[in-house]
Amino acid sequence: MERNMESLVQVKGLSVGFRVFEGLLRVLDGISLRIGQGERVGLVGETGCGKTTTVKSILKVLPQPPAVIFGGEVLFRGKDVLRMGRRAVHQLRRSSVAAIFQDPLQALNPVFTVGTQLSDIVRDWAAGTGKRLSKKEIFRRCVEALAQTGMPDPERIMTCYPIQLSGGMRQRVCIAEALVRPVELLLADEPTTNLDVTIQDQILRKLDELVEEKGMSILLITHSLGVVMDLTERVYIMYAGTIVEEGKTEELFTNPKHPYTQGLLKSIPKLTGEGISQGIPGRIPNYLHPPSGCRFHPRCEHVMPICTQQKPPLTESEGVACHLYRGDVR
Amino acid sequence: MKDVVLEVVDLKKYFPTKRGTVKAVDGVSFTVQAGETLGLVGESGSGKTTTAHCIIGLYPPTSGELRFKGQDISRGFERRPLSLRREIRIVFQDPGSSLNPKRHVAQILSVPLKVHRIVGRGERLSKVRELLEMVELPPDDYLYKTPRALGGGEMQMVAIARALATSPSLVVLDEPTSALDVSVQAKIISLLLRLQSELGLTYLFITHDLSLMRNVASRVAIMYLGKLAEIAPTLKFFRSPLHPYTKMLLSSVPVVSPEERALKPEKVVSRGEIPSPVNVPPGCSFHLRCPEKGEACSQLDPTLQEIEEDHFVRCLQFQGPP
Repeated sequence: MERNMESLVQVKGLSVGFRVFEGLLRVLDGISLRIGQGERVGLVGETGCGKTTTVKSILKVLPQPPAVIFGGEVLFRGKDVLRMGRRAVHQLRRSSVAAIFQDPLQALNPVFTVGTQLSDIVRDWAAGTGKRLSKKEIFRRCVEALAQTGMPDPERIMTCYPIQLSGGMRQRVCIAEALVRPVELLLADEPTTNLDVTIQDQILRKLDELVEEKGMSILLITHSLGVVMDLTERVYIMYAGTIVEEGKTEELFTNPKHPYTQGLLKSIPKLTGEGISQGIPGRIPNYLHPPSGCRFHPRCEHVMPICTQQKPPLTESEGVACHLYRGDVR
Repeated sequence: MKDVVLEVVDLKKYFPTKRGTVKAVDGVSFTVQAGETLGLVGESGSGKTTTAHCIIGLYPPTSGELRFKGQDISRGFERRPLSLRREIRIVFQDPGSSLNPKRHVAQILSVPLKVHRIVGRGERLSKVRELLEMVELPPDDYLYKTPRALGGGEMQMVAIARALATSPSLVVLDEPTSALDVSVQAKIISLLLRLQSELGLTYLFITHDLSLMRNVASRVAIMYLGKLAEIAPTLKFFRSPLHPYTKMLLSSVPVVSPEERALKPEKVVSRGEIPSPVNVPPGCSFHLRCPEKGEACSQLDPTLQEIEEDHFVRCLQFQGPP
């Protein structure tokens, strides 16, 4: 697909921190990313690298305080979400952006049936577009959305409470909730992390189909490189609140540039059975006192003096934020 | 033939519940040989953790036999001699909940030394230091930290040190890395492999990650709904998987390179979910999801058969008429 397609979402230099008892946690450090119209983008990183904070900023659901946004903007179709009023944000969430989170049991309300929760979403969406839907019509749409996720016997599921469903089923309900109304962007935050591989495979295939069919954009957040490989065209690699590398998924995985990406790819156990590397030494930095310069430098084997002083920018041409790839510095 | 360390014969563990009996483990038999790593793989609810817990004696089995170096150990740990508890140790999945949050590392590691009287009181601290060094944690930095101050990987290293404190011969690893990030997982796995070759340990490695088993295990066993579906030496297992469930699992594994994709069996579309173990389907428990099922599958329950040397499969396709 074309890379120069119109951008749907543009995050520019977003910096977010959290005020806690010990001080200020500087989590996101000027991250920028772009999601094109109808594009499938992956965001990969390990635990605590700020993936979920990024998603929450796009949805504007970060609780402030403790969160503090220092700067940057999140443009949705050119409008800055961070500076939108409550009404506009509500409108955005009900008609343009949907999200699926990791733990469906937390995302679903335990005291309402699946049907009630789904129809609430449809009703709210309809109210936003000024449409009036009959009860029958709402019910039909909900059942259809459930059926689309591959749920067996959707009419019965409508009367079930989340606790009566298995993990895979609950995640299907979440997908149905996200897609019961037409949206332009789907944020999927670790949608299959809690599931078994065979169920993960089913859910991913379903997501793939639905995204294709409805022509929406998707931002898939995960720590599983295999999942990103399956589902996305372009991927951002995140480390400690910075984007370290960006590129087309296949290319990036066959030819990783950033030392972190290289270490990460080497760490994955392969089906080809070539053994396991030593992993990446050290651990993710403490956000109270993040390392100066490049945040990866304390763990990097190619560290140079400049790495400790200057933060490398993500270059447009190379798609990597590392001093090793900047001719002028070397 | 190598020495058999652990022999499991027709192990069954049932849990009575209000809604019926849960057959968590239902007739599992396998052996673990000295110095090998047996990978026990299955999805959630397949009974792999229950099997592990029976082996270390957290529960006494409902029926069946467990033999450790020829000695019968089919009972709960409170009825096992201390010497036996020293020999079989376990590392749990979540180190955050298996390490006491109110004790620091030195205290945590002293417990097995005290209970099993490994060293006298005076030498305890030096033994603890030795254990920490063994798992590549510099003792001076870690002795007096509490688990909360440690990262997930470091906690798991402490848990490993605790398991090794009594110089066991069999270590049960119950998903030791599934809560960790891949870069940390790689570190823990290479540590485990090094310790295995240095100390001559035998591992029973429980996991749901097939790609990991490809790199770690010498033999792989697949569990489904409390029963073994297939068991084979790793190379054979990945080169020619036979059981339809194994093929489904393998084709569902997400991979990152074309070389790996080439190794996966032809796309088997996975469907259905694991049925509840309270209500196991009749016949072969997998027949509801099986793409290759025949007519007899819903009535006859196959038994584990040796198809080739060391390659056992439990599927009617490979079974002659009874």
